[in-house]
Amino acid sequence: MSGNDNMRDRIQGFILERFPLARKQHFDHQTPLLDGGLLDSLGILDVVGFIEDSFEITLNDDELLPENFQTISHLVAFVARKRSEKQLPTA
Amino acid sequence: MDYLVHHMLHTSARRLADKVALVHGEERLTYREVALRVKGLANGLNNAGIGPSERVGIYLEPSIAQVISIFGVSEAGAAFVPINAVLLRDQVTHIIRDCGMKALITTRAKLTSILDSLSEMPTLEFIVLFDVELPTNLSCRVYRLEDLCADQPTASRRQERISKDLAAILYTSGSTGRPKGVMLSHANIIAGATIVSTYLEITEEERILAILPFSFDAGLNQLMSAFLCGSTLILMTFTFAREIVQMLLRERVTGLAGVPTLWSLLAQPTSTLSRQELPDLRYITNTGGAMPQPILKTLRQTLTTTRIFLMYGLTEAFRSTYLPPEELDRRPTSMGRAIPDTEILVLREDGSQCTPGEIGELVHRGPTVSLGYWGRSEDTARVLRPNPLLAPELGDCERVCYSGDLVKMDEDGFLYFIGRRDTMIKSSGFRISPTEVEDALFKTGKIRSAAVIGVPDEMLGQAIKAFVVPRDGEQIDQAQLISQCAERLPRYMLPKNIEILDELPKTSSGKVDYPALRRREVG
Repeated sequence: MSGNDNMRDRIQGFILERFPLARKQHFDHQTPLLDGGLLDSLGILDVVGFIEDSFEITLNDDELLPENFQTISHLVAFVARKRSEKQLPTA
Repeated sequence: MDYLVHHMLHTSARRLADKVALVHGEERLTYREVALRVKGLANGLNNAGIGPSERVGIYLEPSIAQVISIFGVSEAGAAFVPINAVLLRDQVTHIIRDCGMKALITTRAKLTSILDSLSEMPTLEFIVLFDVELPTNLSCRVYRLEDLCADQPTASRRQERISKDLAAILYTSGSTGRPKGVMLSHANIIAGATIVSTYLEITEEERILAILPFSFDAGLNQLMSAFLCGSTLILMTFTFAREIVQMLLRERVTGLAGVPTLWSLLAQPTSTLSRQELPDLRYITNTGGAMPQPILKTLRQTLTTTRIFLMYGLTEAFRSTYLPPEELDRRPTSMGRAIPDTEILVLREDGSQCTPGEIGELVHRGPTVSLGYWGRSEDTARVLRPNPLLAPELGDCERVCYSGDLVKMDEDGFLYFIGRRDTMIKSSGFRISPTEVEDALFKTGKIRSAAVIGVPDEMLGQAIKAFVVPRDGEQIDQAQLISQCAERLPRYMLPKNIEILDELPKTSSGKVDYPALRRREVG
């Protein structure tokens, strides 16, 4: 399993665990997170906290953009980019 | 004379008919348009059978329909019950049952989320939907909001209300049990709007951004102040803090109210707020918890032309204190002093007044003291009591509000928050009772006992921490337990952390020793 696959599974697992709405629908790495109210403002904070703790990166406010949070795939690409900037190995 | 909530709207509509009252996305409505729809809805609700002081719930996302509903219910002579859009089925069902709600204004999607509980709401006679398509399989009547808004008055005369009548019920949590409905009279709401708009110096030039929910006293007050003064109110929901900064710029917002969590987000070093000039932003207000000092410092450095008002209020007395911006340098940690036409007392247990610097309970007297809790006279009697300082000859003609907040007052009458008398938790501006969270933990069926406390959190003020004792033979997985709670609890009520214990600490009388759990976290 590649680092990004692992990352995707962990983020997807976290969202399924904390966001019951995700469990009530078909949910995968392409499901829109921002449309339909799946993630709200407090929910984003939870996701950001999880990502910072799990992948040893710090997210800045200017990176908290809708385009980085569209889907789990977008999030994974974003986190991978952040980690490579910090020159951390893939998760 | 404006003595009912909707009078404020109609007075502004007569004075400023073509002025924009509400903005939501691309939608803009003038005061005339709002007033027309509100009148229609009031007729529609009466025609559908709503009578004096009957409760009508409003379970909608921030929207123009939500504001029309609030004023429409008022004009119909009934009482509006705003329900926070983030609440889930369990909480909404509780509110509808508790206040014997007769009608609910909502959306089809929100209705679907509570449909399974409809049979538990015997008083609910009809539903008003914002959507175009109506479901046909419901056991109660359903109307379309747009249709009701176009209704004509019937021949029978509407019973006139007076300012002492019930205008609204705001549900809020205490230290125990389920949320209670704080009853506000028309007089309470108008006094709140008049007082706050006076010290904030709100005029018809104001363009106020509303991000606090109307189910929250400060959010409702913001709406009422705007309509009293003929200002423009901009509605929005946001996911990212930067969307707020964009909206401040786009709509040239002059006033913004927020809770500490919002300011913490906006004050982050990388926030777009620090890179934008906001010359139009005349004032901001903080409520729903103390603003952390570093955040206050950052905001003062960033928003050099904006006046910052720190405010405090509890739903039971609507609004209580504010710190004038010119006092920020001298008393940055103060929660301010009494709002106009209000006296804040600091009392000892025996009802006598504390001396400056002595810690006592904050007691509020003034025109915003609410009518108490709906259907709970015992709880009301605990919080709203006769004024102990009144001359005996006056009898017990006045009720004052005991806040449960411990404070001290300095020589000049400025107050400082010390802590709560009870176990109530405050997180991201929301009041949370530990029992509500504990109940959700019990409902997982996996635990024998549970105790929930608030622990200091930089972003949320307090974060929720749960201590649980598993039932014999149960293996507990923290993540799974949180996940199960998420089925029943809105996000702000979810424990951030769960610790598993063999036994909870108990007091000598056998109750859970909450102070011991809090000490454990600090130590």
